[in-house]
Amino acid sequence: MSITEIMNHSVISVRPDRTLRQVKEILRIKRISGLPVVDSSRKLIGIVSIEDIIKALEGGYIDDTVENRMTKDVVSIESTATLKEVIEFFEKWSYGRFPVVDGEKRLVGIVTKNDVMMALLAKLGLVYLHDERRREVLDSPEYFARSLLTGERLDKSGADFYFSIDYFDINLAGVGASKLRQFLLSKGVDEKTARRVSIATYEAETNVVIHSGSTGAIYCFIKPESIFVRVEDTGKGIEDVELAMREGYSTAPDYVRELGFGAGMGLANMKRCSDNMIVMSKVGAGVVVEMEFLRGREAKG
Amino acid sequence: MKLSEILSEVKAKVLVGEEKIDQLEFEYIAASDLMSEVLAIARPSMVLLTGLTTPQVVRTAEVVGIQAVVIVRKDSVPSETLEMARACGVVLAVTKMTMFEACGRLYNKNLKPVWGA
Repeated sequence: MSITEIMNHSVISVRPDRTLRQVKEILRIKRISGLPVVDSSRKLIGIVSIEDIIKALEGGYIDDTVENRMTKDVVSIESTATLKEVIEFFEKWSYGRFPVVDGEKRLVGIVTKNDVMMALLAKLGLVYLHDERRREVLDSPEYFARSLLTGERLDKSGADFYFSIDYFDINLAGVGASKLRQFLLSKGVDEKTARRVSIATYEAETNVVIHSGSTGAIYCFIKPESIFVRVEDTGKGIEDVELAMREGYSTAPDYVRELGFGAGMGLANMKRCSDNMIVMSKVGAGVVVEMEFLRGREAKG
Repeated sequence: MKLSEILSEVKAKVLVGEEKIDQLEFEYIAASDLMSEVLAIARPSMVLLTGLTTPQVVRTAEVVGIQAVVIVRKDSVPSETLEMARACGVVLAVTKMTMFEACGRLYNKNLKPVWGA
């Protein structure tokens, strides 16, 4: 993975003839903590950080020009660097961000620790929700009405496929997934994608039947680029999603294991089959699983 | 290898889909009693050997596109499993042979595992 895939391309920079007071305003309005300084040909010549501004306020030189007060020996990364090299940079220097430059030292982007983390999470195939957003989602009355993956309002009545998991008999588990597979094939979805979708949905459906102690539903939306599946229930919920995601971890009762399920592979299987997946749960408020499957992933290799 | 040859190698009796056993050919075999494992490792062009007889076996096979299932170490299979196989178009056969022997015989015939092949 190269740095150009993870860096922020629309980097905000400042010219050396501006004042520190102007920089302070940019930092405040844009809610950022530092600015690269470039000359008229966009060559990187320095950097000003929020620390410089604090010092300027204390020292009473906030109306000085950037050029006089900026850090001139700025550490930058070449745009040909790899993700591994970026991580090494963060280890070596204690700065929070690095400007990215091309072969002629022209500024082309900026990379922060957060960009690195998001890139790694994307690579793991997991969309990360930090605690605050998680709480926001779980506590909102729209918990069951909004997409966790895209944040968009879900018009469930407009779903291309709907299946109600309204049974408790483990022997019926998979009926919905099987129907979904036939439906996708009938809509011209390629065999391999349909297979991935139905395997992951089968696991999710089985989880609802085994674990939720309630009923649930499968919604599927066919999009030009991807298949989107949401499986939800209103049951017991999962206490520790991270633990549940771990391969081999299972809380399934023995009778379920005798049927060949409950090996603790379900969630891991679902993650492997999908391209993006979110599991959201609160004890006593059910589980929502959303998965996105890019169409033609196989064709692209 | 032709499905009919595979079945005779493990002395299996065909319960559903007799008409297909001379048409289908397979290169790969997987043996498992864990349906989640089947979902994880399966490829469409393989035969599944399993000790489970529940309808779930057939449904799992259908979801991953497996066309033939051989149930080992059993005399008979519940009728709902047979019905499911008929509905899904999956060939279903049963043998009294143990999983170990069935696997050993098929391995000897150069049938391949789904991984590392």
